[in-house]
Order: sequence, then C-alpha cells, then structure tokens
Amino acid sequence: MSNSILEGEALVESPAATTVMSMQQALNRALDEVLAENPKTLIFGEDCGRLGGVFRITDGLQARHGERRVFDTPLAESGILGMSVGLAMAGFHPIPEVQFDGFAYPAINQIVCQIARMNYRSRGTLPMPITLRVPSFGGIRAPEHHGESLESLFAHVPGLKVVSPSNPHEAYHLLKYAATRPDPVIFMEPKSRYWQKGEVDVARHDAAGGSPTGAKVMREGRHLTLVAWGAMVARCLQVAELAAEDGIDIEVLDLRWLKPIDAAALAASVRKTRRAVVVHEAPLTSGLGAEVAQLITQSCFDTLRGPVERVTGFDVPYPSGDLEDEYIPNIDRILFGIQRVLEYKRG
Amino acid sequence: MAEISFPLPDLGEGLIEATVLEWLVAPGDQVERNQPLVEVETTKSAVELPSPQAGKVVRIHGGPGDKINVGEPLIVFEVPDNTAGIVGTVPKEEAPKRRVRLSAVLDED
Repeated sequence: MSNSILEGEALVESPAATTVMSMQQALNRALDEVLAENPKTLIFGEDCGRLGGVFRITDGLQARHGERRVFDTPLAESGILGMSVGLAMAGFHPIPEVQFDGFAYPAINQIVCQIARMNYRSRGTLPMPITLRVPSFGGIRAPEHHGESLESLFAHVPGLKVVSPSNPHEAYHLLKYAATRPDPVIFMEPKSRYWQKGEVDVARHDAAGGSPTGAKVMREGRHLTLVAWGAMVARCLQVAELAAEDGIDIEVLDLRWLKPIDAAALAASVRKTRRAVVVHEAPLTSGLGAEVAQLITQSCFDTLRGPVERVTGFDVPYPSGDLEDEYIPNIDRILFGIQRVLEYKRG
Repeated sequence: MAEISFPLPDLGEGLIEATVLEWLVAPGDQVERNQPLVEVETTKSAVELPSPQAGKVVRIHGGPGDKINVGEPLIVFEVPDNTAGIVGTVPKEEAPKRRVRLSAVLDED
C-alpha cells in the first residue's frame, strides 16, 4: 500500500495552481495521466473507445493511447468484468467501465465471486488491481437501470473497496489514487454532478495533508453533522447554508470511502456536534445509512442528543425521471430530518 | 464546442422525402429538447418535428417548398463539448428553494 502517487506529493509545497474544470474533465484528465504513467493500465467498456464514453469520460483517450489500451467491448458486462479478472491475473491494471449502475447486475458473479476474493483465494499471489468505474446514482431523468445506488451492495462484499467523489477535485485525486491500489476498487461516479465545474488543484489532494483514504469535512459546524457522499454532498452543503439562516450551524462530512468507512472521522465530527443525519439516494432498508448510524452510535452514544436520523430514497424500484425529484432526498426532506433531531426530547 | 447534425428522420410508412413548409427556429436560436423545429409535409400529412436535443441552432437546410430526402441533413446544433450526453439530461443548477424552516432551542453546554 506504499505506492501511492499522492502520499509523497502532499508534503511538497507548491504554488496554488488550481484549474476550473467539470468532473467529466477531471476524470478524463486523471485517466489520461494514469495511462501515461502506468503502461499496464487498460481502459475498456461499452463505447469507451471510439466514442469516448456516453458521458465523454474516456474522450480522446483511444486516439492518444491507442486501440490496444483503450477499447470497446461487446454489450456484455459479465464479459467486461470476467476479462478484467484474466487481465489482472496476467499483470495488467484494468480500469473497466460499466456504463450505468443498473448494468452491473449481470456482472455480479464476476465482481463478487472472482474480483473480490481472488487475492484471498490465491493467498495473495493473484491480486486484483482493478478500478471499476460505475456512473452511479440518479438525477439525470434517465430510464430504468440508469439511476441506481449500489453502494451498500458492493460495501457488503469482503475484498472490495468502494469510493465516490463529490466534486471535480475529489474525482481527479480519488480516481488517480484508486488506480494505484493493489485491491479492487468500485469507483462510483455521481453522474448528476458530471457537468458542474469546480476548482481542481492537480498538485495536491489535501493542502492540510489529510489521508486520501478518509472522510473529509466539507463545511465545519457546531450543532449537527450531515453525513453524505456522491451527489448528496452538494445538496447537503446547500442545506447547511439554508440552516444557517435559522441559526443552525451544520457540519457536512463527505464520507468519500464507503468501504472501509472512516469511523474515526464520524466519531470526531459527531462528538463535537452531538447530532447527526445521514443522507443517501439509495433505498432506506439496509442502506449504508444504517451502517453509518451504528458507527456513530457506537462511538458517540453518551454525547448524542437524539437518535441518528436517515433521509434516503424509498424502498421502491428507482422511479422514472418524472418522479425522480420525489424520490431523491430534497432540501425540505433533509431539513425535516434535521428538525426531527433538533426537537428530540429524552423520555 | 461540438456540432451535431440531425438528419431528416424516417417519418414512417416508407416515405423517402418531405417538403419544408415552415421553419419554426432560425440559426442562432437556443432550443430546448422537444421544442418544435420545423413543419414539413409528406405525401401523407403535415407534421411538426420536435427537437431531439437542446442546443444552439447553427444551420438549417432547405427553405419553404424545398424537398429533403430522409437521412439528409435537416439542422445542425452546436453544444458545449462537455455537456454532450447521450443518455438523460444535464440537471439544471437552480438556486435552492425551501419551505421548511428550522426551530430549536439549543443548549450550548
């Protein structure tokens, strides 16, 4: 775990050289650099090659790095991930793409039974340095299978790591970090945030020297912690601004890594604020919010002013685009969740 | 910026061409998805063609009375390079709206 390209750079003082770019551009740049830096890297998936991906994430990579390193696959996710297993066994570092979250289901056998446990099964002789990119979550009014949140499914599988960036800067650095890992990483890209621009400092992930494997405080506050990941981080930051109008000072914690979860960061934040609400797009039951709530309860039971609340999607199949705004936690539902915690009285 | 050309679609029933009756947009216009672009007449009927996507109109092909074959360019859009998605729509960035207000008596011990 010492071959991080970031761990060394965090110590180097460099002039702030930030570039404004979208998450699409940040991911594209990260992949371009990974291809240039590691000749074992291969990128493939449906429409990843000639077209450059349906979201343009692999745009131009085939032209720059050749058809042998960036290529199209048949419409067969089990084949895309099965091939990744063989390539990893042969020493390559595959970065396959499953075009949409809901298309991962046909490859569950390859992900769960092969990718996640080949290293374990082979007593460490066959590591699986695979970064599986999955455009994830909802918010773009797309049809069925294009708006699902699979994080708790993946997080439940021993052997997988799961991460989701919330902005272009995180996307650039987390993807570059994931691509250097010796273990399989499920990289969940919040597709509703692909187009929003933000400042990216390519030289440094965290000016404060924080670990790329932990959670990140995106806004400090005193009264309550909102825990979120992916696209919900931006929404929680909006909610925090609105709550400030009412005199409530909200901390927003971007969990970033959904497996393993940064329990220490959760504890540090909620010990300070004494109240917590978890927000995710995935359905409520057995969602990752339950895991987060337990970790907080474990470390902060004595200081909590009320039960940890969850504001989530509903226990229904992901709805069509017209109903999306009713399904994904919106500002008012998150504010209601905050209010429930604020007005909790011990019995 | 990228240009995307939209050819005259197959309007059904084996029709191979259509005649432009009236353009409802002009070069320079910003159009939304499903906004009516042009009224065309086939041997069967006159129909309005909705826009397949949002974008800025760069060129239109054929004036009123001109025939266009199915598959020939009808209109060309300009879209920013990084917003050209193939599935779904780009979410609008809107100012956050709220109806719920928070109220709490916070003890600061």
